[in-house]
Amino acid sequence: MQRFGFGPRPGEYAQALKVGVDATRTALLTVPAVDAGAAQVVEPEITDLGKRPAANSKEIVPFAIAQRYQVEQMTLWWLDRMALSDHGLTERMTWFWHGHWATSVQKLNYAMPMFAQNKTLRANCLGNFKTMSRAMVNDGALQFWLDGQDSTSKSPNENLGRELMELFVLGVDRYSEDDVKAAARALTGYLVDRSSGAVTFNLKRHDTNPITILGTTQPLTGETLSDLLVAREDNATFIAERLWYRFISSTETMPADFGAKKAFAGRDISAAVAAMASDPAMQDVKYDLVKSPVEWFIAACRALELTPSQLKTPSQLLNYLDKLGQVPFNPPNVGGWPAGGSWLSSATAQYRIAFAAWLIKQSKLRGLLEIPVNSRALKSADWLGVSEWSPRTQSTLRASLSDPAQFALLALCSPEFIVSA
Amino acid sequence: MDTVTRRKFLKLTTGAVAVGAAAPLLSIDQIAQAAIDRPLPPNTPILVVVTLYGGNDGLNTVVPYTDPLYYSLRPELAYKQEVVLPLNAELALNPAMKGLKSLWDQNKVAIVRGVGYPNPDRSHFSSMAKWQTGSPAKHISTGWLGRWVDSQPEDSMLAISLGSVLPPLLAGGKRSGSALPLGGLIIPKGDLATQCQKLSKAVAKDSKLMAAAATSMRNLFSVSTSVQPVLKGPAPVSPDLPTTNGGNAGGDSNLAQQLDVVAKLIAAGSPTKVWSVSLGGFDTHANEANAQALLLGTVSDSLSRFMSQLKATTRSNDVTIMVYSEFGRRVLGNGSDGTDHGTAGPMFIVGNSVKGGFYGEQPSLKNLYKGDLAVTTDFRDVYATVIEKVLKSPVGPTLGTWAGRVNCIN
Repeated sequence: MQRFGFGPRPGEYAQALKVGVDATRTALLTVPAVDAGAAQVVEPEITDLGKRPAANSKEIVPFAIAQRYQVEQMTLWWLDRMALSDHGLTERMTWFWHGHWATSVQKLNYAMPMFAQNKTLRANCLGNFKTMSRAMVNDGALQFWLDGQDSTSKSPNENLGRELMELFVLGVDRYSEDDVKAAARALTGYLVDRSSGAVTFNLKRHDTNPITILGTTQPLTGETLSDLLVAREDNATFIAERLWYRFISSTETMPADFGAKKAFAGRDISAAVAAMASDPAMQDVKYDLVKSPVEWFIAACRALELTPSQLKTPSQLLNYLDKLGQVPFNPPNVGGWPAGGSWLSSATAQYRIAFAAWLIKQSKLRGLLEIPVNSRALKSADWLGVSEWSPRTQSTLRASLSDPAQFALLALCSPEFIVSA
Repeated sequence: MDTVTRRKFLKLTTGAVAVGAAAPLLSIDQIAQAAIDRPLPPNTPILVVVTLYGGNDGLNTVVPYTDPLYYSLRPELAYKQEVVLPLNAELALNPAMKGLKSLWDQNKVAIVRGVGYPNPDRSHFSSMAKWQTGSPAKHISTGWLGRWVDSQPEDSMLAISLGSVLPPLLAGGKRSGSALPLGGLIIPKGDLATQCQKLSKAVAKDSKLMAAAATSMRNLFSVSTSVQPVLKGPAPVSPDLPTTNGGNAGGDSNLAQQLDVVAKLIAAGSPTKVWSVSLGGFDTHANEANAQALLLGTVSDSLSRFMSQLKATTRSNDVTIMVYSEFGRRVLGNGSDGTDHGTAGPMFIVGNSVKGGFYGEQPSLKNLYKGDLAVTTDFRDVYATVIEKVLKSPVGPTLGTWAGRVNCIN
């Protein structure tokens, strides 16, 4: 529930325990036709803001404000979807793919291309990887982020070609430096309109000669290159590795017989995710994961019944996420966010305490207060989707029974909640 | 202006750190405790690395003020002869760098010209990664000073970066340098503090990650009241500055604050041999002149203030400062009174053990390579020199077999 969604809302975990593991797994993996929770989140109005006005012109101030505002609205919209979704898997997978095809709005500065990319990732999040990879090669935000628009047959830019192989499709060291140069040639000819993200293909800028890559020679476009890479055995290994890293363990290596790899043979993402969900590793306590700041925050919102965009104020919210080191649409680099112990420093501990206190102040704490006081120290584990509290945390929580706000804060900052078993 | 700030950049480059060991975060009190328990032995050399994020325009830092090509190639951006601070008949410092000029006059500044690496990369992130990893040809996840940390006995105080995010520079394969958040950590008080401390106790059933979560909370509280006064006190007094503490120009900049903390901790005897500080904002694609002058002024003032503060300590002869940026900028200005990403740039090495003067060849403005300055000195020449002369360590474990040196340190 923590891993295939963003954590339970009050009552959901107890309900899941009642119906059992199999029924819960099936429910988590079945995408419903309608997600009423997510549907209530109103889409922001993201428009093409056009070319940036001159530095000292009259237009620059309203332009910069609009640019900032659209990015903020888009970020809040996605956080709301994560927090309010009835079915967590779609948002969870979209989030996974955002970290995989990690693109940052910091370079683009325009919301519109990022918004379009987010929709592409959501539409394909449990679909076929071949389709997704083709769609991403044609994605304006990704193309701009990796300098695709500067890549011509005369001077191919290697940025996108390299990352397509290293970070998106095959994994590092599964190709040569010559293959990088070849991929760059295949990816020439794209033009990106920065403000809208519209991608056009200009044959005159494209290298139409036969290209030798990974032992084959033929003329290639970005799309046929993508198909060629996705068809390789290494693609199944790599995607299985990435799923393992983000959903099972960022510290232990993936066993060679991890079921998701075989299930991915037809490049069906949902099949790989389903295989992963019933993998024995899911039940093994040694495979635990640290909730990243966004995952921790959304899990807290769901337990506290808070809507991110309604928090006072959104800029304060984004500031907390920034301090913790994770703001959606703003990954640190093309490799995506770190995992595991990197989220556990004394600085993040400090910010997490302050963030939790700020959230709790804005919650009615219904889920917690509904638990009778005499069983609250134990039953609050269900409220947060924690399998059980350690004796340490139990005794700490007991000492704060008279102060529900402090109780909630300690529970949200406990090792058992920060780390998903 | 599309400013690359230090923080933004750190966020954009720390992927490499994440794959290695998690960076320990220190509190000032932990360092202070170590300074009292096991101070750095007297006369131990100390390296202070200053990273200028964004790509500093080298041509307007060390200005070829008598080269007619300088004036014809960038008419809007060139500094007039009468305002620059001449160092010799050909080169002069940016008018904002009076503090550094004064250190130059005392023979404490080496300027290494035309520094870069083969096949220059014009991406901030890639180029800074090459500089920080010390590996321009192959992408690796350890920093050159991180590998030096690897080669030393384990000590979390050995190499410290100011700020809450550790730069790849100090990321090692086995262990890493530590990060010290500026302003320290804010610690909960009262009953909440008591309960948080209870929550931070490790229990037998904890997994490795849960134990790490508990430790991170515990570290928040590792405060020793006995040492607080030492470090919460004022920075060392600068005997030759008009005001004793914090009053001179540029003193409120972030770089000055970082160097203030470094000066305090050096004075207190922190067992730290490498410090990393930084300043962002050098990505001057537009309206460059004022922005860069402001930043260079900050660098110059902060460094001269820092050097003065060290005079009041026993360690002024031990400290060597190294200043670099990920690339220089294009020789020709662009359409918006700025410059785009370029290649080679100057490095500054500052300290009492430094042999002042120019090193490396000044890149020619006549023979540009695709509109950019040619690289005349490989940054590994400078790194190798610093490793040998300042850190007194063999070059091999950090840079492999690298023969080049810059003979600028006694």
